[in-house]
Amino acid sequence: MGEWREPAWRIRSWLKLMPKPPLPDGLVAVVKRDCPTCALVQPVLRQLREVGRALTVFTQDDPSFPAGLDAVDDTALEVSWHHGIETVPTLLRVERGAEVARAIGWNRRDWEGLTGVSGLGPTLPAHRPGCGALSVEPDQASALELRFSGGKLRSRRVELASLEDEFESLFDRGWTDGLPVVPPTEIRVLRMLGGTARAPDDVVAVAPPDLVPVTVEKVAINAVMAGCKPEYLPVVLAAVEAACTDEFNMHGVLATTMPVGPVIIVNGPIRPALGMNTGINVLGQGSRPGLTIGRALQLVIRNVGGGRPGGVDRATHGGPGKLSFCFAEDEEGSPWESLSVARGVAAGMNCVTLFAGEGTRCIVDQRSRTPESLVSSFALNLRALHHPKLIGFDAVLVVGPDHARVFRDAGWNRARVLEEIHARLQIPGAEMVRGAGGIEEGMPGHFGSQTLPKFRSDGLLLVHAGGSAGLFSEIIGGWQSGPGGSEPTTREIRR
Amino acid sequence: MHDISDAESRGIPAVFVASREFLRAAEAQAEALGFAPARVLVPHPIQDRTDEEMRSYADAAYEEIVRALTSEQH
Amino acid sequence: MTILLDPTSERSVAGRTLVARPASLRGRAVGLLDISKPRGNVFLDRIAERLVAEGATPLRFAKPTYTKPAPVDLRQEIASKCAVLIEALAD
Repeated sequence: MGEWREPAWRIRSWLKLMPKPPLPDGLVAVVKRDCPTCALVQPVLRQLREVGRALTVFTQDDPSFPAGLDAVDDTALEVSWHHGIETVPTLLRVERGAEVARAIGWNRRDWEGLTGVSGLGPTLPAHRPGCGALSVEPDQASALELRFSGGKLRSRRVELASLEDEFESLFDRGWTDGLPVVPPTEIRVLRMLGGTARAPDDVVAVAPPDLVPVTVEKVAINAVMAGCKPEYLPVVLAAVEAACTDEFNMHGVLATTMPVGPVIIVNGPIRPALGMNTGINVLGQGSRPGLTIGRALQLVIRNVGGGRPGGVDRATHGGPGKLSFCFAEDEEGSPWESLSVARGVAAGMNCVTLFAGEGTRCIVDQRSRTPESLVSSFALNLRALHHPKLIGFDAVLVVGPDHARVFRDAGWNRARVLEEIHARLQIPGAEMVRGAGGIEEGMPGHFGSQTLPKFRSDGLLLVHAGGSAGLFSEIIGGWQSGPGGSEPTTREIRR
Repeated sequence: MHDISDAESRGIPAVFVASREFLRAAEAQAEALGFAPARVLVPHPIQDRTDEEMRSYADAAYEEIVRALTSEQH
Repeated sequence: MTILLDPTSERSVAGRTLVARPASLRGRAVGLLDISKPRGNVFLDRIAERLVAEGATPLRFAKPTYTKPAPVDLRQEIASKCAVLIEALAD
């Protein structure tokens, strides 16, 4: 039987980890022939040599330029790239291997100050701007980044066969969630890593079910596949961190037959910074940040952690939210402090809260004008969560702005709203026990004489979001609470 | 071989049978597709074989074909 | 040549793996796809006899021509009717 052996990964020398090339002490000039200002300053460079200054000249395009100065060939742009040369000519002063001063373009005063030599280029104009350096030319940028930074990527390289379609190959390898993913080329992953200050080999979390250490690099690869922009990466990292905690219990969330998956709720100024939607269709399609961030988390769980449907994931039905479920709270329009502040995070901090949740259910209430009536609507709907005769689940209640207005007008703060909902959900055990109402499902018989709370005291999370018109709120039902279940988990987003 | 690749991607375990002469072409196709399917080889040539000879090729290849399509050892 | 970074934990082979096989062919529908080159049908006739003897159910299919991949309709029919597939006989 044919057995597939991966072709030997050819180690290209330019992918080896390249350290920053050191600069020689003294003066360093970077020029290119194809630059009028560089041509202009040739006599100045000769002048500096003549007065005995240690001067090294690097040329970006033609090492025979400038003539007579023993220019060093930097046509590979290694020195230029590593030392951030954006303009030619650039003049550096280097002491003990470190750059201490830099002059950009030709400016007699700057050059004299930097070199300590007066009377430079007496026949030249006082100043003249330089030209763009080859090391920052847009169509060169990707190739250079890969040449000089590519070695920091440690993941296995996979070479696609000549007839393989990029997108089909990702399906064929089982790396997608059923939808096409963006092929994770080295340059895309390098760009994605630019979205975080963390090192690529930093371990973010240990992912279930295979208990694999997840590095920043692996998250970045899956974030590329999900369609994230680099600036979304810190949110994905925080979500992965939160999901893989013992308290969130991602393994349990994966392995359950219930339809829940990780739901990510984002708080903080990062929401408008990334352009996250908090209004119309906030829980639906169309807005890139929420959808791709949610998707990236699921791809990490699938690809790195090894958790996939039919494997550890045994959900009977699952739900569309298991592709991606990430949304931002509308803090600006809310009558209350944000969910994160209510959970103890300082105001103004960026964070994610992970909740093990199913799909959404709409609460329709287009007539309640008083807060008492509206919370009664909420409570009656919440009573039926998973089953009216069962307790032990958490829920997120996404209150739409038109409903929130009722509470604002009555002066009900967040705590009051929750208190009033809980108060209406203290249920006589007799209604809940198995057999009551002719329904075999329910609570064990010994609860018959007690009053049972539908939710534990911390079991309801209130979030404000949605379009400004529409007298609706949404329930996101949860998984079981308590030990063996999942605890809503909040983590700070750090760049 | 595209048919085999397609069947596999639809979840159908598949094997193709070819004469030894086809081996090199098969390996080139596999490399180009990035996928090495299960294959069983029979002697070459085929075109001029009698029915009796074809049946004996089938008998000789049968066990290997079954092994390529099942997971248990026989 | 497209190079991608592996998004997985790298605990298994990065290449495309073969689909999981059933334990045995007994009681299963086995597709026999004739690529329509001469003599292949005789080969497949004998394979079909052996499969019946083993308790499997052979189903015969034929490509219109060996010069092109099978048409989509045929692929779908095979996938919906067969548990496994044998394609023969290329030379």
